[in-house]
Amino acid sequence: MDLLHLLNQGLFWFFVVMTVVSAIVVVFSQRVIYSAFALLFTFFGVAALYLFLAADFLAASQVLIYVGGILTLIIFGVFLTAKIYTMDIPQQTHQRYLALLPVVAMLGLLTYGLFTADWKTVTPAAEPTTKDLGQLLLTTYLVPFEVASVLLLAALIGAVRLARPMQEEDRD
Amino acid sequence: MIISLNHYLVLAALLFSIGVAGVLTRRNAIIIFASIELMMNAVNLAFVAFARHWGDVGGQIFVFFIIAVAAAEVAVGLAIIVVLFRHRETVNIDKVNLLKW
Amino acid sequence: MDLSRFNLITIATPLVLGAGVLLVMLVDLLSGRANRRPAQLAALAVVLAAAAVCLATWNTGGVSFFGQVSGDGFASFFNLIFLAVAFLVILAGPAYLERNAIHFGEYYSLVLVSVMGMAFMAAGTNLLVIFLGLETMSLALYVLAGFNPARQSSNEASLKYLLLGSFATGFLVFGIALVYGQIGSTDLARFSAYLAGAGDPFAGYMGAGVALLLIGLTFKMAVVPFHFWSPDVYDGAPTVVSAFMSAAPKAAAFAAALRIFYAPAESLGLPWERILWILAALTMTVGNLSALNQASIKRMLAYSSVAHAGYLLLGILAGNELGAAGILFYLASYVFMNVGAFTVAWMVNRRGEGRYDLGDFAQLGFRRPLLAAMMSVFMLGLIGIPPLAGFFGKLYVFTAAVQAGYVWLVVIAVLNSAVSVFYYLRVMVIMYMRENEALKDVDRIPATFAAVAACALMVILLGLIPGSVLDVARAAVASMP
Repeated sequence: MDLLHLLNQGLFWFFVVMTVVSAIVVVFSQRVIYSAFALLFTFFGVAALYLFLAADFLAASQVLIYVGGILTLIIFGVFLTAKIYTMDIPQQTHQRYLALLPVVAMLGLLTYGLFTADWKTVTPAAEPTTKDLGQLLLTTYLVPFEVASVLLLAALIGAVRLARPMQEEDRD
Repeated sequence: MIISLNHYLVLAALLFSIGVAGVLTRRNAIIIFASIELMMNAVNLAFVAFARHWGDVGGQIFVFFIIAVAAAEVAVGLAIIVVLFRHRETVNIDKVNLLKW
Repeated sequence: MDLSRFNLITIATPLVLGAGVLLVMLVDLLSGRANRRPAQLAALAVVLAAAAVCLATWNTGGVSFFGQVSGDGFASFFNLIFLAVAFLVILAGPAYLERNAIHFGEYYSLVLVSVMGMAFMAAGTNLLVIFLGLETMSLALYVLAGFNPARQSSNEASLKYLLLGSFATGFLVFGIALVYGQIGSTDLARFSAYLAGAGDPFAGYMGAGVALLLIGLTFKMAVVPFHFWSPDVYDGAPTVVSAFMSAAPKAAAFAAALRIFYAPAESLGLPWERILWILAALTMTVGNLSALNQASIKRMLAYSSVAHAGYLLLGILAGNELGAAGILFYLASYVFMNVGAFTVAWMVNRRGEGRYDLGDFAQLGFRRPLLAAMMSVFMLGLIGIPPLAGFFGKLYVFTAAVQAGYVWLVVIAVLNSAVSVFYYLRVMVIMYMRENEALKDVDRIPATFAAVAACALMVILLGLIPGSVLDVARAAVASMP
């Protein structure tokens, strides 16, 4: 039991450190491609933490959608705009330290709220949630589910409209 | 030491703040996007942690929708960036000169 | 399974719109290239059908779909506002789109998607539905803002709107997460019940949660200090889209704010009042002062819409029935004035898309007296001159604020209205007094002219029967669960 517990703890802290460090790399790296690849580790770290929280289905979705979809898109974006590497572009702003002020303030506010709240630790037995999620999506959350489908349709129409070159309109 | 809800929430707050810092300090549109994704991930983590705390799947459902929204935003956003790049060959917000922050 | 829980009447209007999106896309596909007229007609038919459904189901659907949506009079009232705006921009749009060679069928489907999102923002009784409605609306607007890919400023407006909009969404959902963490639900009834019963409403995560929710919503309303995107985006976006963006989404954001905060406003107490007081005072002052020296009519109208968000906040701050009903009336008149003014702005623009100079209006009073008269109606309405609709909107909202004891804030608002006279009247002075600058004549576009005339008529009509419209608005507010 103790060994297992220790392993559990070790893994947890491993993923926490991985998530935070890679997030810092994403934000402060000077090369866009490093940021994009660091994002991969953040997404995986968060997915692993979902498993600790007994959200197995979400962990799978996180890997599929964030890593498989969003990250791929971002890397595509980096490649499609690749010429920026050869240009000398300053990537830092001048008010960098000023901008960190609200960030620190917010972190302080959030952490304060956290430690003043009185939390009971409830740990219900971890069971796979996929079945519940599926049932809820088609009953209680039917309306949001349908709205989301229209939202994705709008994204589809919009992305195609924007990315299609104007001249093609005459050609087809 | 027992891993409690607070651990996850501090992590979520930290991740969110890193994302906000990225949006405020960086000027590369793609990095700003990545930073916004960090913020969304932080929110998702908070939701899942709260869902665990309440023993309620509703929080996980919310995460499901946030992921869908984030994917849609990125798809449209990168389409815009590509169009912009086609004209200007820059993704640096400061070079986007007509409209300043 | 108990199917009575799925009461389709509650979401009948957005349902028609959702089906309409598919219909418009299909019609556009079948009608071949270079002919967008069928798509436009289909979109107009969809909007009319949705309006008919909205009127037929007025206040008949209660809370349904497991407490996710409510088809009450409040939702119906806002749906009618959104549909009116959609009808006007679809009717007026083609001439502008043709002029800029960007007449694509997606314009119509995206406007309809956006309105569907707004309908869910007004009908949602769960933060999840409101969030998804907001995102559906915004996503369509991001694309519409960049609808002219050949123009740099349109692309930039689109990118800026999307980046800042997603940033604000991050705050909004974190706020929702914290509210969920505190009460274990995103249901609005639970939210207000919790706040009513809590000794300290801001204990635990609720303080930060409500604050972050407010940041997310005020961004969409373009309230100072989260307004800075709006002049640039309205300026860079195609002007038909600016007309749409400055009217309908603002109304939708206020609908969502009323849904979330109208019932629990009283329990939120002093900190809430102080923050809203400062936001309202700042928003109207900054908006009006910035509008004073704008040479571009689009930027002037953008700052004026910031100022109007400030006046509208008074109604939320008042927190009483007259305040909420006043907001409904105010928005119902405001959307027509704004859509009308933006439409006239692009009709008289004769120097190309890059320059929307106030000088374009020179001599309009003599060349196109009717158009100039209608523009005057919009400007006087935005000032709030009786007996136009704008006057009664301000009157109701300000009266509600006085009743709630915010006399000083109302004094600030009245002073601000006095300041706004300068820049609104300047347009009229230019129209009737400035000498001819040898500009090209304004095109005669019957459909667009009809849309502008409809706006002017509504501004006058709402001013003639303000009492009965206010009664409908009151009933709508009272019908909220």
